[in-house]
Amino acid sequence: MTLPLPMRSAGHLPKVNPLSPNTITLDAQHLKKSYGRGKARFEAVRDVSLRICAGEVLAFLGPNGAGKTTTIKMIGGLVRPDAGKVSIDGLDPHRQSMALKRVGAVLEGNRNLYWRLTPLENIEYFGGLRQVPRRIARQRGEQLLEQFGLSDKRKTPVQKLSRGMQQKLAIAVALVHQPTLLLLDEPTLGLDVEASETVKVLVRDIAAAGCAILLTTHQLDVAEELSDRVAIIRQGQIIAEQPTHELIQQFSGSAYRIDCGQPIDDLKAHQIEALGGTVTGNQVHFSGNGLYELLDILRPLPIREIRQDRADLTDVFLSLIRDNP
Amino acid sequence: MLNLLIGEIKRTWIQFIRYPSEIIGGIIIITTVFYGLFVSAQYMAGPAINFGERLDSVVVGYVLWTLALYIVNDIAFNIQSEAQTGTLEQIFLSPFAAPKIFFARAVASLALRMTIIVLILFILMGITGSQLSFPVGLIFPLLTLLMAAYGLAFVMGSCALVFKRVQQILPIFQFALLFLLAAPTEDWSGRARLIANFLPMLPSTGLLRDLMARGEGLDISLLGVALANGAAYFGLGLLVFGWAERQAKRKGILGGY
Repeated sequence: MTLPLPMRSAGHLPKVNPLSPNTITLDAQHLKKSYGRGKARFEAVRDVSLRICAGEVLAFLGPNGAGKTTTIKMIGGLVRPDAGKVSIDGLDPHRQSMALKRVGAVLEGNRNLYWRLTPLENIEYFGGLRQVPRRIARQRGEQLLEQFGLSDKRKTPVQKLSRGMQQKLAIAVALVHQPTLLLLDEPTLGLDVEASETVKVLVRDIAAAGCAILLTTHQLDVAEELSDRVAIIRQGQIIAEQPTHELIQQFSGSAYRIDCGQPIDDLKAHQIEALGGTVTGNQVHFSGNGLYELLDILRPLPIREIRQDRADLTDVFLSLIRDNP
Repeated sequence: MLNLLIGEIKRTWIQFIRYPSEIIGGIIIITTVFYGLFVSAQYMAGPAINFGERLDSVVVGYVLWTLALYIVNDIAFNIQSEAQTGTLEQIFLSPFAAPKIFFARAVASLALRMTIIVLILFILMGITGSQLSFPVGLIFPLLTLLMAAYGLAFVMGSCALVFKRVQQILPIFQFALLFLLAAPTEDWSGRARLIANFLPMLPSTGLLRDLMARGEGLDISLLGVALANGAAYFGLGLLVFGWAERQAKRKGILGGY
């Protein structure tokens, strides 16, 4: 399913850069932000630089209080950085208000919408707020609602919609002006499984349509599924920034874990150990090259599961956070 | 800008049409309170007394107070409730400048408020027997009143933006305003009059009372004073609001705490 959103070719946005697959949409450099003075001074963001290309999804991860939300708000022009520069399609949101036409944001929580208005009214209103002509906002609104599966609810006041639908609508509202950069702060928080899945699919489609996406989340499986690159922030600084699969690969071993579902007798155990594997109860852990020989030894035991010791993002995240004091 | 205004009018109108109880409740309360006061005053003065012009002055003063209150609180309440629902940040994400947006909202709700105010006025005239004149010239001092009121509205909005909770200040403000608008400052002279001219909305209120309750003509020099008063407070309001927005962004408190 591809969104009928020609992100850049719409006539309303002036063309800033010639379109190429590696167009840098967001370029944030050396952002700094602290609050308070003297003893009460708190450095929320120490030195954060992020770059996102068109169509790319960057997952921004970190423990609570690490500086994720402050960074996102600095990028959106809502918090003034103490130092550093933000550039969205070459424009600075803190100095040039036109930059705000390029950004859409869905901020954390049950927000971003007027509860007494219907989805269509919300889209029209925010479209107007982002300088989208009324008629076009309405057209795009109908399209987006159709795409997001909200068409039959378009005349229902938002307060009567489920949490998942409200979140989808918030994303639709953030897209009505066809931004080139979408900021999503915890988009799947508080959603049930089905709604989460829908939002994930939407995010992938939006990225496929050419939008750059900056996504923060605590749910590492979401980050792993959706992101092309990952940036991990801790205490205001980025401690890792890499393509997702590379980062996971780095932390993954190539060992195999085999589950037989029943105890392995001593004879077989000895043979396995001779080959270099270790046997614990029903499981064999093996990191050599002779996987097939090992399986021959195990025959005719039932094989419940063969798994490669691939780390997931949770493992990566936890070990990075622990290792970096 | 026009589109922005239309968008705001639509939104305000829809929210009213769908949930009118708040506003209708408000109308009932305002007229009932005044009627209660009126009846008490009649009781105190005795059955033979006809209030005449004085009643008219008080009615005008009361209605203008209600109007001023609506306006001055409008922006601050809007900011507060939007901060709670989280749409405030979405407003600041707009390429339109924030003062423009809040002003458009204020104008949109003004249309609704004026309708309500006129309704209240006629209800009060009906139940108290007050007789007011409505010369065309009252538009001018009304406009100067609105300017000063919106200036104050922006100042209150700035408080809401930076301090987040304005509930504590508002009641004080309400009564200060009542005093200001009830006092017949147009009858003062000398230094008291001078001070009155510097206070927000007083020159305009005095003029409106002259026109509507006393049936006098429009004094151009007084109108000039009212205009200067209105423009000055409006300018002040915008300045303070701009400062407040910068402060809020610097402190990172735009959306909440």
